[in-house]
Amino acid sequence: MARFHDLKVTDIKKTIRDAVVVSLQPAPESADAFGFRQGQYLTFRREFDGQELRRSYSICAGLDDGILQVGIKKVDGGAFSTFANDTLKIGDHLSAMPPMGSFTSDLDPGARRNYLGFAGGSGITPVLSIMKTVLKCEPGSSFTLVYANRGVNSIMFREEIEDLKNSYMGRLTVIHVLESDAQDIELFTGRVTEEKCAALFAHWIDLSTISAAFICGPEPMMLGIARALEAHGLEKSQIKFELFASSQPGRAKRVETAGQAASDTGKTRISITLDGATRSLESDRNTSILDAALANALDAPFACKAGVCSTCRCKVIEGDVEMAANHALEDYEVSRGYVLSCQAYPLTDTIVVDYDQ
Amino acid sequence: MADDNMTLESYLAQGGVLTSPANASPRYRAEVMKIMATFVDSELAGAAGFADVVNKAPGLRERIAASKIVLEKTRHAETVLELMGEFGTNTARYATSHPWAARLARDATADTRRSDHDMRLSVFNYPLSGWVDAVTMNLVMGLAVGVQLGDLRKLSYQPLAEKFAEIAPVEANHVKLASEGLAALVEAGDADAIRLSLDYWRARVAPIFGSEDPTRFKSLAALGLRHRSSAEMRADWDAALGDALAGLGLG
Repeated sequence: MARFHDLKVTDIKKTIRDAVVVSLQPAPESADAFGFRQGQYLTFRREFDGQELRRSYSICAGLDDGILQVGIKKVDGGAFSTFANDTLKIGDHLSAMPPMGSFTSDLDPGARRNYLGFAGGSGITPVLSIMKTVLKCEPGSSFTLVYANRGVNSIMFREEIEDLKNSYMGRLTVIHVLESDAQDIELFTGRVTEEKCAALFAHWIDLSTISAAFICGPEPMMLGIARALEAHGLEKSQIKFELFASSQPGRAKRVETAGQAASDTGKTRISITLDGATRSLESDRNTSILDAALANALDAPFACKAGVCSTCRCKVIEGDVEMAANHALEDYEVSRGYVLSCQAYPLTDTIVVDYDQ
Repeated sequence: MADDNMTLESYLAQGGVLTSPANASPRYRAEVMKIMATFVDSELAGAAGFADVVNKAPGLRERIAASKIVLEKTRHAETVLELMGEFGTNTARYATSHPWAARLARDATADTRRSDHDMRLSVFNYPLSGWVDAVTMNLVMGLAVGVQLGDLRKLSYQPLAEKFAEIAPVEANHVKLASEGLAALVEAGDADAIRLSLDYWRARVAPIFGSEDPTRFKSLAALGLRHRSSAEMRADWDAALGDALAGLGLG
């Protein structure tokens, strides 16, 4: 399992009104762990009101920039992004796991490739990292960026992208598509949909020369772009996605602690919610929650049955259970009420568990 | 772009892909975990079974081929287990959590039941019996793996789909090694022994494509985790095996 490391905040810059670029420095002993590939992300953890939250943010620095930087856009009601934008200051420390993710590509200094990137809003962060890296490390390659935003004021890294265009004259093409600000060319106004892409491919972007496409943005935009790319001859294997983390909940609910009496009968009633349906069944103290579910023909998930893999994770809503072994869940998950159902044995007369949380 | 609301379910049903466990729903996470665990356990059990066969190889080239298969299947398990780690699996413990070489008796009734302790495909509960049997099993099962990987490499969890795409050609080469091995054995006059092994393994590989459960297939298909039905895949395997055996004069 990946471990968390301490990172020192060395710089914070606003890129637009509600987004910051945070520069981070690992301690010397963990510097190697933070070597990244362009397009990867970092997962941070932090306690808010006694609850640990984890959030992932993409690295926006290029491979050769010699710096670790992430872009964090403020999300309405988002605890971590609000903290990063409003409270975080230089000299603070953050806790993060080493870089992860496969939204990246292999570099070849001798290659002469044409890359295509699509970014929606803050989806620019990993695309920027890939773009900067490719332009620097593959001197023969070029990059076309289609960048969708609501208006001019919400374009993250606008100046930095302009600078890149000047530094890599002729090798970087940027098409800004703005939803609400009118532009000279009508095609560049509105949303990036399948139809818009088809028009771009007809007049502005020659897809037959493109070797790989990178898409990061909200779900409907990614689907539309992917459909258009495939309809115009790009193979699935040439298209890389990174889903925008917009659907992540802002704040976790508090754990409801629910101690209650246990009798000596050894019997227990377990109510199990799975795939949106709840079933109630009778079991005993010597049968794990998972085995009780399986014995009642419920399709509960499991794999190793040894407390190692975490496939069978569920949340205890009511009652108490005891875990015989736990090699997979972390303390913060346990404190929220998560258990490994293959290892969880009832301690109370009534247990309510939920596999859907 | 805050009004771009779409549920995860409809995103996946429309062919969307996911790239991080953080975005997955509990059911999606569980199904991807099961696919990964099934693959890892099967590769580890397969490699453990084949490791014994190295010492039964009739010559140096065969020893090398068998060793290579053991090494590469173990490596495939390692690469997928790494992804399980991103979902929370304790990878160091996982690798040693089961006796991967454990098998039932050779004459145990062919059964699709999995063992209680790991997710290996049921075919890996049965022991190999000598070199001819091992090479035959490698062909019969290798072709089935090829068909399954053809479906798995299209699944909607992109990091895993990419791993399967890398693994597929290496596994295909194991089939090629099996086919070359069988050709040599046919030449040496072992055709009857091969036929006996074929009967044994055919009956045990056929069930791995799963039962025809339309509800289950539909729910996996809606998550982008299955594309073809068990019957379609089983038919493909049957045809591929028929072709391979005809090419070896065993049809």
